[in-house]
Amino acid sequence: MTTETDQSFAAVADLLRGGARLVAVFGSVDDVSRPIIHYIVDAGDYATFSGPVDASIPSLTRITPAASWHERELHEVYGVVPDGHPDLRPLMVHNIPRTAPTDGLHGTQTDGRPYRFLEVSGVGVCEVPVGPVHAGIIEPGHFRFSVVGDRVIHLELRHFYTHKGTEKLFEGTSVENGVSIAESVSGDNCFAHAAAYCQAVEHAFEIAVSPRAEAIRAVGLELERMVAHVGDFGALCGDVGFNVAAAQASGLKELLLQASAECVGTRYWRGIGTIGGVRRDISAAGARKLAETVSAVNREFAELAHDALGTPSLQDRFEDTGVLQHQVARDFGTVGVVARASGISADIRRDHPSGAYRALNIDVPLHHHGDVLARARVRVDETKTSASLIATLLEPLPQGPLSTFKVDYSRNRESFSTVESPRGELMYWIETRDARIARCHIRSPSFQNWPALPQAVVGNIIADFPLINKSFNLSYSGCDR
Amino acid sequence: MISSILRRSLTGGVQVIPVEQLIGNCSGSRMPDVDSAALTQTLAEKAVLVCPTSALSGASPVGERHLTLDYAECIGCGRCIEVAAPAFFEAKTFAYCGVPRDGLVRRWDISENTEITLAAASPERIERQIRSMLGRALNIRQLDAGSCNGCEAEITALTNPHYDLERFGIHFVASPKHADMLLVTGPVTRNMANAVRATWEAVPSPKLVVAVGACGCSGGIFANASAVAGPVDALLPVDAYIPGCPPTPAMLVTGILALLREANGRRSSPRAVSFREKKNPAVLAANGAPLPVVR
Repeated sequence: MTTETDQSFAAVADLLRGGARLVAVFGSVDDVSRPIIHYIVDAGDYATFSGPVDASIPSLTRITPAASWHERELHEVYGVVPDGHPDLRPLMVHNIPRTAPTDGLHGTQTDGRPYRFLEVSGVGVCEVPVGPVHAGIIEPGHFRFSVVGDRVIHLELRHFYTHKGTEKLFEGTSVENGVSIAESVSGDNCFAHAAAYCQAVEHAFEIAVSPRAEAIRAVGLELERMVAHVGDFGALCGDVGFNVAAAQASGLKELLLQASAECVGTRYWRGIGTIGGVRRDISAAGARKLAETVSAVNREFAELAHDALGTPSLQDRFEDTGVLQHQVARDFGTVGVVARASGISADIRRDHPSGAYRALNIDVPLHHHGDVLARARVRVDETKTSASLIATLLEPLPQGPLSTFKVDYSRNRESFSTVESPRGELMYWIETRDARIARCHIRSPSFQNWPALPQAVVGNIIADFPLINKSFNLSYSGCDR
Repeated sequence: MISSILRRSLTGGVQVIPVEQLIGNCSGSRMPDVDSAALTQTLAEKAVLVCPTSALSGASPVGERHLTLDYAECIGCGRCIEVAAPAFFEAKTFAYCGVPRDGLVRRWDISENTEITLAAASPERIERQIRSMLGRALNIRQLDAGSCNGCEAEITALTNPHYDLERFGIHFVASPKHADMLLVTGPVTRNMANAVRATWEAVPSPKLVVAVGACGCSGGIFANASAVAGPVDALLPVDAYIPGCPPTPAMLVTGILALLREANGRRSSPRAVSFREKKNPAVLAANGAPLPVVR
């Protein structure tokens, strides 16, 4: 380890002890294949540190649990040992043996033995394994509950079943085609991923984006947030058996998707993002129609949410369920809806604005209880904010070209960018060599929030787990990559 | 409170989209189509060059005068349409759903300005069969083998009041043991390979497997990813494919109904017989004629 890295580590540790939030820890390699470690910390402004490492570095996990998964990934991918890390079991690569099915669903440890879950023992303790295949139209992941009766006393996550080697796939791809990969990291947030990737490239190569393209991007991001929140609120109602409200919300979500298809030719804004701007324009008539639908959906959703949240049987299930304490949410460096429902006022659109958000006032709703109800309320409030932002952005869209053409990518650059996706802060870090992506690191909000989920589940009954999990609504693919 | 929600449902009017408007509809999918008459060697070469997957192939400067479009690999990025209009355009209708793997591949002879194969059924033909398919029941188990959740988002939409898949007697079930069909999305990741096989084995025979989305059909954008085992058919026998990135709910409906028709149409095939053995009311009508009810 060099002095440079030593200093970086000391600086990061100091910031974290002073209450700064850890954004990411990840690795890359230099020209001679030597590992480089990178730290990104949010201390009001983003601060980045990096330096070469040899075999080991001191672990940050002793200072903040938020570093745990980051360092496990670093260990697994670059072989760098975070000294003093309490748990270095493999995270991403399960090493599934090619044997009979049902054998080795959870993979092996570094030493080749079957993956070991933390064992909880005592009178009446039962273990309940759930997944990776779940009973519903959802993504795969494994949950290992230790329960006494109905009460969950411990929950361990075993994820990364959808790990595809996405970051590796970026390496060697052309800078332009990287957008298509970014769009496929987490499908329901695909436009946020495209925007974050494009912004990182634009930042690296100092590419200017026209006001019109910036505004269209912001419309896409806000629409994506509305779609996610309206859908999630409905799914929460569905999880407590309130099927009429769930059906109504899913109908409203569909109206937004159909409006998108009509306005820009794609339901989830895939294929819209491009470096230097966007690939579809919104006509004056299209903007009018979109604004009408958004305002109608917003009105109906507000009524629905008001009525649903005023229903005693729903309140009974939502209230005090899955509480994530404020300090725990801080310790785990949570982001997005999860953080804002536990009293952490953080929103990239306001705190680190880019593009059209620089000129917009963002109202950041805040709830303090940290339970399912608080997370539902944040979603309801944010839907309203997004609808009014879309109205502001569309009335009228500024003039300007859609994108910048002919960018010279020949210089080698590195940069990063963040976007407030519907799930929270999404970070893309890119490094280019000879007009190709040499390394891309994606820190999705889900990767950051998943480790905090068990903290909200312990103490609840196991039957409430689907509801608590849904209230977090984290992406498996976004986390697993 | 609860009463006003119920009242809204009762007075809100019907949202369900008639099936005639769904079959063959691909609005919002960004799937490309090719106008044979406008196809030139230059345009074809340009399109092949910008395709980020290998969905477009053939047409090379060394004299290949054919163009191949494999919908299984197409992620609908729209680059071909950008560089090679008017030969390439966004498809208005799309019949390549619920078909065998080779039914997703189209080929053109560029010098003759003609399309060579027409494997898939036209939307008109499917439309005529709709009536004969209504009133059947099918239990579907969706299985995510490693997708980005884009396909899941659209499959979930099938249960909303606009698409209402249940009107066809088609249900999503929680257990593979209750399923007639596995709807598999995503490239199969190495980490999911065993779980995918175990799930398939848990589905009682006879069973149908449908690969959904560009990733499920061919690996899509993840075809060469390091932690991916392959497309769905690398691990499971696949009966039909529904391409798209992601396929829209209308494309999913088109594909599922087309496959049902296909499965019922093969009267003499083992699969059709075994359906009858299972006493599944879903498949009583083959080619429109009711099969004897086994009690």
